[in-house]
Amino acid sequence: MDIDHDTLVGFAKSWGLFYFIAFSICVVIYAFWPSNRKRFDDAKRNILDGDDRPWQ
Amino acid sequence: MVQQLTTGDRQNTLVILLFVFVVGVAMAAVGRFDPLGVHGVIVMLFGGSLAALVMRSYYEREPTQDRLSHYYDDPIKAGVALTLAWAIFGMFMGVWTAAQLAWPDLAFDAGWSTFGRLRPTHTTGVIFGFGGNALIATSFHVVQRTSRARLAGQVSPWFVLLGFNLFCILAVTGYFMGVTQSKEYAEAEWYADLWLVVVWVTYFVLFLRTLARRKEPHIYVANWYYMAFIVVVAILHIVNNLALPISLGQAKSYTIWAGVQDSMVQWWYGHNAVAFFLTAGFLAMLYYYLPVRAQRPIFSYRLSILSFWGITFFYMWAGSHHLHYTALPHWVQNLGMTFSVMLLVPSWASAGNALLTLNGAWHRVRDDATLRFIFVAAVFYGLSTFEGSFMAIRPVNALSHYTDWTVGHVHAGALGWVAFITFGSLYTLVPSLWKRERMYSPALVEVHFWLAVAGTLIYVFSMWNSGILQGLMWRTYTQEGTLAYSFLDSLVAMYPYYIARAFGGLLFLLGAIVAAYNIWMTVRAVPVAAGGQADVPDSGLAPNTVATPAE
Amino acid sequence: MAELFHRKLERTAIGFVIAIIAAASVGGIVEIAPLFTINETVEEAPDLRLYTPLELAGRNIYIREGCYACHSQMIRTLRDEVERYGPYSLAVESKYDRPMLWGSKRTGPDLARVGGKYSDFWHVAHLTNPRDVVPESNMPAYRWLARTGLETEDLGRHLQAQRALGVPYTNAMITNAAADAFGQAAPDSPFAAGVTERYGEKTQVSAFDGVATQLTEMDALVAYLQVLGQLTDAAYSNTAAPEQAPDPTN
Repeated sequence: MDIDHDTLVGFAKSWGLFYFIAFSICVVIYAFWPSNRKRFDDAKRNILDGDDRPWQ
Repeated sequence: MVQQLTTGDRQNTLVILLFVFVVGVAMAAVGRFDPLGVHGVIVMLFGGSLAALVMRSYYEREPTQDRLSHYYDDPIKAGVALTLAWAIFGMFMGVWTAAQLAWPDLAFDAGWSTFGRLRPTHTTGVIFGFGGNALIATSFHVVQRTSRARLAGQVSPWFVLLGFNLFCILAVTGYFMGVTQSKEYAEAEWYADLWLVVVWVTYFVLFLRTLARRKEPHIYVANWYYMAFIVVVAILHIVNNLALPISLGQAKSYTIWAGVQDSMVQWWYGHNAVAFFLTAGFLAMLYYYLPVRAQRPIFSYRLSILSFWGITFFYMWAGSHHLHYTALPHWVQNLGMTFSVMLLVPSWASAGNALLTLNGAWHRVRDDATLRFIFVAAVFYGLSTFEGSFMAIRPVNALSHYTDWTVGHVHAGALGWVAFITFGSLYTLVPSLWKRERMYSPALVEVHFWLAVAGTLIYVFSMWNSGILQGLMWRTYTQEGTLAYSFLDSLVAMYPYYIARAFGGLLFLLGAIVAAYNIWMTVRAVPVAAGGQADVPDSGLAPNTVATPAE
Repeated sequence: MAELFHRKLERTAIGFVIAIIAAASVGGIVEIAPLFTINETVEEAPDLRLYTPLELAGRNIYIREGCYACHSQMIRTLRDEVERYGPYSLAVESKYDRPMLWGSKRTGPDLARVGGKYSDFWHVAHLTNPRDVVPESNMPAYRWLARTGLETEDLGRHLQAQRALGVPYTNAMITNAAADAFGQAAPDSPFAAGVTERYGEKTQVSAFDGVATQLTEMDALVAYLQVLGQLTDAAYSNTAAPEQAPDPTN
């Protein structure tokens, strides 16, 4: 099969969309995975420590 | 700056600077009949004077081993100073060019002072000079604090910061001489672009190695945004600037992209420079300095993750909305429009996240001008992303494109969002970085805030008016079915708005000068915070809140 | 699963970088990759001629002075634009444009078809001081162009670089670049004939700034302005109504 303009456009229009859907599902799973809750909570609070030295 | 370097570091620095100097000599020699030669001399002077600076302190005492138990703040301090210097330069050029549109004879009878050459000095000065230095400085600050690790290098942070500034100097001096690729926001010629690649790869490696040193298990979300900014800007910069110089001794080059391909590549770059330079990097500032200043954790960390991936994914598609109704294939225009509208979701998620973080602390927003800077930035971020999605819709774009509305939109983002978040971050950063009790004058922060708000509003409203008026005049028909206005009619109608815009810009420039003075005096005159409390780990309070309760 | 994967990506920050690239590059690839095959869909324009060395030099002055910051060269498929500026721009018309100069702002009018609309003399007067000709204009004055000699020595190198990128300049064009630049602005000189011979009968040979003996930057810029929209007639033979022009199903 020749790779011409229409093939590329067709590919872009279909697989681009599937890729996007798969990608967003992964991101949502990651963000709402129950065991991640603690990490995220720690992360958002830890930056408020007034620490001014690197941890050794 | 040399005190923190060991003898080995100092030697390495001298070798690098010698190399820069030699490259400068070579450029000056092969380009002696060309602007390239002038740039060679600039590179020589840059490398030579820095080398002299290092030589002068070469035999000073070496740092003790415990330097590694401190954060590396010297490059950040220099970065703050450079940010302010570029802010004043870039904004001054903006006011000058704005005034030229109202009073065209405000130029000398020489090429360097005409609008066409000055405009890129303004855009490069503010985007790369002001914005870029602010991003580099704050990224060094944030990545160390959130990773609890010192920067992974002693010389490389300086190389990144000063190398980037050399790029900016080459770019801006080139525009005065007429050296330009004409690619918007990527005007610098091939040799400056090559140099930026070297600097940027170093930046990338430095950032990655610092993250690898982290003691926190999780990478804080602000670093994600900085990382996306560094990685994607590298891709954009390289692809957009692929070019063939006409000879190694000349500045002129021809881009490998032609015609319609070039249009897509340019606006793929142009729009994503907005996305990953002017949005992702500054969202990183928002996600760190907002919680720190407000002393409240971010409203929803999950939301920040979702919007991160949303922005990273969607933005790349949006560039073609700059090319509606042009010779670009129709389906590409439609893709650009669709994704631009979808972009509103992650953008508003970020803006909403920021505002909800402040919910419950409105009294602090009222009392603390610094926090108000950050608050206004979040509001303008929400407004201008909405406006952007709206303008990307084809029929709206038919009216808005080519008019001042675009300019107004850009400045709603650049002044209202980028500059406000930067100044809010700087006012948070400076006292803690120099370990001062507080800013020199909270009143001047307040003055700056109101100058900046007034300047932004005047600017944006005059450009909205002029842009929409212009767009409507171009497409108004008489009853007989002929065009009602000549182009000249529309130009004449613009003059009052051009004057108002220059005035708004002037107010904003004055605000930046006030900020520079205030920060300078903070470093010079405000006593060091008492008791070294800033140095004690886990005191439970951020130093700046202890130091500046009322500001 | 996805969570474990992401945690791994995060711990080794390099994996995280790859994820960013994967997310971000798709949009660009999907939109730009098909444009590499754009030549299959771009209109045919057999009569498309190349920029002469003088016009190319003028184009480079146009770029150097940042004219594109205020003047677009892209007439959109909208009725008012077509009536104001002429037939809407086709992709093929900027086929050899490196970089393209479609522009993004019209502080001044579109220039895609300004060629032939005004006399050379008008352009020279206008560039010397726009307010002499159009009192309301806010365009800068470009007086020094007329007193700055044009650099012609390296024009061959310019053409050679263009050819390396795919513009079909011939050997004769490259060797004669400097002479052709002079000849195009000196109609009575022996060099003039070579220009039309190499670039076609339609090439405008004229003493652009009014002085045929000396080649200035003004000559080059006016030559370029006069060729805008004149490289091919393709846009005039396309008669589709502007709003319907692009295939809406595509």
